[in-house]
Amino acid sequence: MDYRVHLAKRMLTNKKGSLIGAVLAVSIGILVIHVNFVIFQGLYDAIVRDLKDYRFADILVTNEEDYIDKNDIALINWFERIPGVEAAASRMDSSASINATSNGKKTEEFRIPVVGVDPLRDTRVSTIHDTVGDGQFVFARNSIVLGSRIARDLGGVQVGDDVKLKFVDKFGVDKIKRFVVTGITSSAGGQGLDGSVVVHIDTLRSLLERPDETGAILVKLNDPTKAVEIKDFFLRSFPTDDFKAETIEESAEAQLSGFRSGIALINLIGYFGMMSSAFAIVTIQMMLVSSKTREIGIMRAIGAKRKDILILFMVQGLIIGAIGAGVGTALGLAYTFYAKETKMQFEGSLALEVTYNWEKIIQTALTSFALAIVASIYPAFRATRLLPVEAMRTV
Amino acid sequence: MNKIYGEGETAVHALKDVSFSIKRGELLLIVGSSGSGKSTLLNMIGLLDRPTSGKIFLDGTETTTLNDNKISSFRNSKLGFVFQFANLLSDLTVLENILLPRKIQRTDKNAIDDAKKLLRTVGLEKQMNNRANKISGGQAQRAAIARGLINNPSIVLADEPTGNLDSVTAEIIVQLMKSLVKKLGQTFIIVTHDKHQFGDVDRVITIKDGRAFEEEEPKGMEVAAT
Repeated sequence: MDYRVHLAKRMLTNKKGSLIGAVLAVSIGILVIHVNFVIFQGLYDAIVRDLKDYRFADILVTNEEDYIDKNDIALINWFERIPGVEAAASRMDSSASINATSNGKKTEEFRIPVVGVDPLRDTRVSTIHDTVGDGQFVFARNSIVLGSRIARDLGGVQVGDDVKLKFVDKFGVDKIKRFVVTGITSSAGGQGLDGSVVVHIDTLRSLLERPDETGAILVKLNDPTKAVEIKDFFLRSFPTDDFKAETIEESAEAQLSGFRSGIALINLIGYFGMMSSAFAIVTIQMMLVSSKTREIGIMRAIGAKRKDILILFMVQGLIIGAIGAGVGTALGLAYTFYAKETKMQFEGSLALEVTYNWEKIIQTALTSFALAIVASIYPAFRATRLLPVEAMRTV
Repeated sequence: MNKIYGEGETAVHALKDVSFSIKRGELLLIVGSSGSGKSTLLNMIGLLDRPTSGKIFLDGTETTTLNDNKISSFRNSKLGFVFQFANLLSDLTVLENILLPRKIQRTDKNAIDDAKKLLRTVGLEKQMNNRANKISGGQAQRAAIARGLINNPSIVLADEPTGNLDSVTAEIIVQLMKSLVKKLGQTFIIVTHDKHQFGDVDRVITIKDGRAFEEEEPKGMEVAAT
């Protein structure tokens, strides 16, 4: 082993406090990045996951202008013949005024979004039915599932109560229909239909006087990475129709764009943390150089060149960086594992969607490692400038 | 050569027109009172500092014009150092300390054998695997002497090598260095404030007020200039 590497190793192991301090500085920098990633990227991915599961699926097909007037069953069958597509289902969006009668008392009327679903097909593309914690999904034509916020705003409507919805149909005519509440939907984090009501799609079509129209086709894929490919294929296959097809990232853009800026900011803060670690290493390395001034003088006196001293302290930085990056990455992975296994969530909010982003993990480790080396340049350079005679006078 | 520290009115003329030569295998003592300039002189010979004017020749090489890298190589291969405080690296073992100049030179061939031979010569065989900070002052100084000899230098420079030792240990170190001069024909330049401790030596140069004089007391006769 090269004597400079050997000596650097010995100097560090004999200064355990400095070594531990420097390693901790690097490790904590990495850990902060990992924790940030797990929480904020996990939250972002959880929102994407929930929006996909509840609202948009992998591909959302709508009409550029209005409702889709092509037969929805034909479109669903078309999609389901494509390899990679797991299922497709139609939905219809509208709005209505709602009031409820609970214990004989009528509540105040207000407007709410209404989602019409094909209950059997919808369960194959969406997990919204799983969010119906109380009661059951809209399998009957006169049944309605209320979002938990709507139920609360209506004064605590429960399963079995009646609600009256007033729609305006295609021709501008008011249509009033009484529904029986069969379920209350509530999603952790509120990305589901907590602020909407769900009815059977055929009931909604009938009320809107749009019997052959569809609001959207939700397409679920076996392999979500094929989304762009399948979306493009769909649009190429129906060039004359005014279809609009979007992947989940495109559909959820409005909800996610602000969040992404937040994540970028948090990442930036994380990288500033890493820079602080680098400054800590500079300080610790300066202390190491200072405590080894006499030794540097001795080495120079017996023939070590400035380059050898530089290499010695750069190797120390390399060792600190390697151990710090290793320990930090191990701690970060342990935290990620814990968050993933426990389906980490905060105060009943949505469970984080924790993933091992190996590219980011490796990038973080390498950045820290490189920063530790860069942070050692100045102290190492300072060590080379020491004059042997003066250095040896240091006690 | 001359060595002046500082400039203008605050300048200190540490060495004044010092000039002497030394033959291979000689044991030369440089004596003088504290602050006389003897350590400064040794630093100049050891290429640890540069003279303000004048030239230093070692083994026929004019050393004052060498660049930093060449000076380092020169120190490593041609000079051995023994300091008042042994100045071993506390992070290394005795053996590793002795091997260090050889490692710096990157000539590992027979290095361990040579180091062990030297350890036997200085009587430190049993301590070779001890950490340098776990041995006594006398042992550390013997290890420093061994380290100074590992690269077969032209000259070993010793700055107050017994200055930090008790009289019994100091005597052992003195005898060791004298025996090395006899056995190995090794050239030694030793700076000391107590020439009597060394008894008979080949030559004595006295430094007084920055000037070098042959013999203990200044007789107005400077050593032959080169």
